[in-house]
Amino acid sequence: MVDFDSINVSPFLTRYDIVMESKESPQDIAARMYPEDPALKKVAEDIVFLRGKSVEGDVEAALANLSPNEVIDGGLLRGIEIVSEIYDRGIYYLPHVMVAADAFDKGIKVAESKLSGGRQTKGTVVMHAAEGDPHDIGKNIAAVMLRSNGYGVIDMGRDVAVDDVVRTVMEKKPAVLTGTALMTTTMSAFPRVADKLKENGLEIPFICAGGAVNRGYVESFPMGVYADKAAEGPRLVSKAVGGWDWRKIRENWDKLISGGGKTEEG
Amino acid sequence: MATKRFTKMEYGSADEMIFGESKYPLSYGLGLKVGSGPIVPEINFAPRPGSEKTPESLKREYVDYITKDVLDRAVTLGFASVQLENEWISQMGSNSEKFAKPIVEGQKNMMRKYHDEYGIACAIRHTIADQREGDAGLRPGMDSKHAYPEKLLESLEVAAKNGADVLSIESVGGKEIADYSVVRQDIKGWLFGIGYLGSLDMEWLWTQIVDVAKKNKVVPGGDTNCAGANTAMFMAGGFLDRDIPRTFSAVTRAIASARTLVAIEVGATGPDKDCGYEGPIVKAISGRPSSQEGKGAQCAHADLMGNLVAQTCDLWSNESVEYHPEFGGSSVQCWLGVIGYEAALMTASKQMKTDKMLRDTYVASDRFRSPEAFILSYDNAYRIGQAIVGAGDSYYLRAKAAGLKAAELIQASNDKGKLKLSKEEKDALNRIVADLRSLPDEEGKFVDWALKEYASVPAFEPKNYEL
Repeated sequence: MVDFDSINVSPFLTRYDIVMESKESPQDIAARMYPEDPALKKVAEDIVFLRGKSVEGDVEAALANLSPNEVIDGGLLRGIEIVSEIYDRGIYYLPHVMVAADAFDKGIKVAESKLSGGRQTKGTVVMHAAEGDPHDIGKNIAAVMLRSNGYGVIDMGRDVAVDDVVRTVMEKKPAVLTGTALMTTTMSAFPRVADKLKENGLEIPFICAGGAVNRGYVESFPMGVYADKAAEGPRLVSKAVGGWDWRKIRENWDKLISGGGKTEEG
Repeated sequence: MATKRFTKMEYGSADEMIFGESKYPLSYGLGLKVGSGPIVPEINFAPRPGSEKTPESLKREYVDYITKDVLDRAVTLGFASVQLENEWISQMGSNSEKFAKPIVEGQKNMMRKYHDEYGIACAIRHTIADQREGDAGLRPGMDSKHAYPEKLLESLEVAAKNGADVLSIESVGGKEIADYSVVRQDIKGWLFGIGYLGSLDMEWLWTQIVDVAKKNKVVPGGDTNCAGANTAMFMAGGFLDRDIPRTFSAVTRAIASARTLVAIEVGATGPDKDCGYEGPIVKAISGRPSSQEGKGAQCAHADLMGNLVAQTCDLWSNESVEYHPEFGGSSVQCWLGVIGYEAALMTASKQMKTDKMLRDTYVASDRFRSPEAFILSYDNAYRIGQAIVGAGDSYYLRAKAAGLKAAELIQASNDKGKLKLSKEEKDALNRIVADLRSLPDEEGKFVDWALKEYASVPAFEPKNYEL
C-alpha cells in the first residue's frame, strides 16, 4: 500500500487555523477583565473556567457582602463577557460558551433566590424553529447565549405553526422574534409570520437564521434581520432593546457583525 | 429482538476496498447495476421555496421540471446510468397520500419514458422524512399531537407501492442526547445518544423498513447519521470555524458508523445514504454498496474531504441542490454534470487498471486536511471496522471501541508529526481519550449511569427506546 506519510501536503494544503492560532491564553485575557472585588472575581473565574461545581458556593459567599444584582452584574455577567471575548478571539470554542452558560445558570438561580420580585431582564425574545422543521440545535444554542447575556427567552420549540408564533408575539410583545429553519421549504413560513404580524399592526425585528437561510432571502420580507451564527444574537438583540427598529438594524448589519457590535453610534 | 451482529470483516484487507466494487452488488430499478464496476451518479435535489404550496405545484416542480431536466441532461451528456434521490420534504411526510404519492408515481413514469426511449439505466431512491420528535414520542401511539411515527410508516408504504426503487431514511434516534452533548463537547453523552440509543432506534425502525421493502419488492437501502455526526461535522466546519474541535467530530463519526451498521444487520442491503460519511467504515465491515458525496456536493455544503471520500463509493452524489437556473442549465443539470463526469473518470480508470492509483490519489490529497478525513481514509476506516467487529454484541461497547480507535489513530499520526492539530483540537482529543477510557466495560453499568446523568436533557424520554 502507498506510504501516505511520505506525502508533502504543503503545496496544496494550508492549515490556516494553526497559522492564525492565538498566542494569548484565556488567562491573559481574563486577567485584564476581572472585577476588582475578590468575591466577584471568584464568581467570574468560575464562569470563565467552567467550574460548574463551585459556582453556587462562590455566589453564596459573594452574597454575604454584596447585593444579588451586584453579584449578577459584577460576577456572573462579567464572567460571560470574558468568555465572549475569548470566544470572539478564536480561542474558546462554542462548547466552552455552552458549559460556561450552564455554570451561569446555576449561579444565577442562587442569586435570584435572594432577589425579591425576580431579576429584571434586559428584554424579552420569542424564539421558534419554523413550522414543519424539526431541527432546533441552532435555536437552542442561540437561546443559551441570549439568556446568559441577560435577556429573557420564551422558547416555543420546533415545528411551530405560523399562527401560534403570531399569537405568542401579540400576547407577549417581545423586543425581538427569532426563527430558524434548516430547509428552504420550511423557511417560507418566515414571510408568512411577518405578513401576519404586520396585518396585526406589529413591527419588531424578526431575526432569521439556519442552514438554508441566507441574507438575501431574509431581507426580502419586512422585519427580517439575518443572523449567520448564534453568537451574533446578543449583538443584534441589544440594538433592538436599545430602540433600533428592524430597518436600522438591517442598514447597519455589516458594521454590527464585522465590527463586533460596534457602530458609529456605539 | 435478536439481530445478527457483524463479528468479522467482509473484506480481507483495506486494500481490497475500491470505488465501484462491493462484495454484494445489486441490480434494481430500470436496468441499474450498483457495486459491480461502473460508478453511478446519484443526483439529489430540493424544490424551490413556494412550490410546496399545493400538491399540484409540488408535483410539477419535482416531475415536470426536476426529473425531466435530470434525465434530459443525462442523455445529453451520454451518461450510461443515473440514480435520482428524492429526500422528502416535510409536506410529503406529513400527508404522503396527498403530496407524495403523485410525485412518486410521476417521477417513475417519466423515468420509464426515458428508459424505454433511450435505454438509459436509471432508478430512484426515496428518502422519507423522519419528523419524529423525542418529547412527543418516537414510537407509534406516543405522539398524539402530530402522529409522526405513524406518518413515517405510512410514508414508507406510499413510497414503496408507487415507484421507489430504493427506500432510505435519515433517522433521528438519539438526536436529543447528541444535540445536547455536541455543544458541550461531551463524548460520553454523544456515545450514549448515537452509539447506544441511536442503535436501539435503528434496530426498531429498520426492521420495519426492511419488511415494507420486501413486501413491495424494492431495495431497503440504508441510513446515515446525518442528524448526529453530520451536525458535528458541519459545526466543526473549516479553518475559520470554531464551533467544535474537528477531533471531536472525527470521533463522533467513528461512533456513528457502529450505529449506521445496524440497518444492514437487520436486513438493509445498501446502497446506504450519500451523506453518511461513515460509509467507508460500514462498507469495510459489511461489503455492501455505498453512496458518498464530496467535491460534487459543494452545492450543499463544504467539507474537508472532497476528493478522499470518493475512494470507496459505488454511487457518487451531489447531496442536494435547490432547483434554480444557472448559466449552464438548471442547477440539477449542472451538478449532474459534475458528478456524472467524476463517475465516468472513476469507471474509466478501472479499464485502464489505474483505479487503485486514482483511489490513492484521492486519499493523498485530503488525508491530512482534517482528523475526520484521516480516520475515514480507507486503511483507517478498515481499522475502525476491525475494532467494531472485535467488540462483540454490545451496541455500547462496539461504538466505544470505534470512537477510541479513531482517537488513537489521530493521536498516533499527530505524534509522528503528520496530521497537524491545533491546540484546542489536541486538548479536546486528550479529553476524549481520557473520557472514553474511564467508561465501564459493562453495557448495563454504562446505561444505568447515563440514564441518571442525562435524565433532565430536554426531549429525552427513555420509553422511546423501551428503557
